[in-house]
Amino acid sequence: MKRPQAVTDLVDELKKLPGIGQKTAERLSFFMLRGTTERAEKLAQAIQNVKAKIILCSVCHGITERDPCDICQGPNRDHTQVCVVEEPHDVYVLENMGQYKGVYHVLMGVISPLDGIGPSELTIQQLKEKVEKGGIQEVILATNPNMEGESTAVYISKVLKPYPVKVTRIARGLPIGSDIEYADTVTLLKSLEGRSEML
Amino acid sequence: MGLFRTKAIVLRSINLSETDKLVTFMTDHYGKVKCVAKGARKIKSQFIGSLEAMSYIHLIYFGKENQNLFRLNHADIIQSFQSIRDDFHKLYMGIYFNELVDTMVPEAHREEDIYHLLLDALETLKDQSNVEPLCRMFEMRLLALSGYTPELNHCMVCKSLRGNGWVGFNFSKRGIVCGNCTNQAPPQIKFTTGTLNYLKKLLTLDIKCCGRLKFPKGLDEEIEKVTHRLILTHVGRELKSYPFIKNMAAVE
Repeated sequence: MKRPQAVTDLVDELKKLPGIGQKTAERLSFFMLRGTTERAEKLAQAIQNVKAKIILCSVCHGITERDPCDICQGPNRDHTQVCVVEEPHDVYVLENMGQYKGVYHVLMGVISPLDGIGPSELTIQQLKEKVEKGGIQEVILATNPNMEGESTAVYISKVLKPYPVKVTRIARGLPIGSDIEYADTVTLLKSLEGRSEML
Repeated sequence: MGLFRTKAIVLRSINLSETDKLVTFMTDHYGKVKCVAKGARKIKSQFIGSLEAMSYIHLIYFGKENQNLFRLNHADIIQSFQSIRDDFHKLYMGIYFNELVDTMVPEAHREEDIYHLLLDALETLKDQSNVEPLCRMFEMRLLALSGYTPELNHCMVCKSLRGNGWVGFNFSKRGIVCGNCTNQAPPQIKFTTGTLNYLKKLLTLDIKCCGRLKFPKGLDEEIEKVTHRLILTHVGRELKSYPFIKNMAAVE
């Protein structure tokens, strides 16, 4: 017997999500079918809200419901310190830490020659204009420690070189809880380069 | 199901899913190979750091011999070429070399000479300050090893060389044309016999000694026009990383 069209449509839509295959999509669809109407409506509403209400902050390019975002207009935020990240979700990864009190600037990607993404496709010009305006003392480059992230960080540091601003790079090295025995040579080298003095 | 052990150079590494990566290698014994590296994006992955483009590694992977996609088992760095990544101009040059090999070499064809050419080019790039002659030499050698050596010793039409201080080059015939034969095979570019001698040197000189090769001012652009257009004629499109070498050099 053929599956009802409404269930097939839901399975087909869920399958398009990252990490969800045929079996998972079917399981989720039947879970929704078994649940209450209220739960299904809440989920549908939440998906619609994400598309309707979320916009990009005109200052930091992070995701927000109001422009400028809460971080950019936060009175307890240190506006002299800007942390540069690749994607909007990186802002929340750093925010979860709860220790950083500065503001952010989202690049919306990284320089990637093999994908044809150059500096003009990113928000580097806007960062430069922000620094030009003055009031910023430190720019922290928190791009990923891979080839594209590193080269983007080097590029930004060269662009900001003429301005009286301190440009720093997040430390690279061994993750907490790892074993030095299994670390590769590049990670070990970077961790030695970025070593800090003990008391 | 076989287990393959070889040395390899990482050509490209892209994110495949939440935690996996799809990595393209140029291997010593098995040519160009693509592998899925499970969990490679996790911060405590054993592969982290060894799958960056241009890394020279010991590689172990498994899968059926005739399949296109393998599973990565082990990757151990022999040389990371970190000094190339730390220099802006060298980095984009290295990425260009990788893209050229990735584009011109088909999968699962043993190409030992091209593998050694890439390894030698990266070794040289690491220590070299003047990288332009190396780039020209790499383009010419790669074309030659792929079976597309340009004819530089005699005219493609009359098979002799009656030079009047200049020669023409016909890209579709992939060779030089003398002054008397320009009607039969119109050249797209004309250059001096001095440039011709440099082009011959690019094909014969040891790539590790390319530091000795210095192009006179004016000739460098002429040589670049020939070698890069030969690449374009063969590949059929501009490579994505090539404009970056020029644009990023301006930032220095």
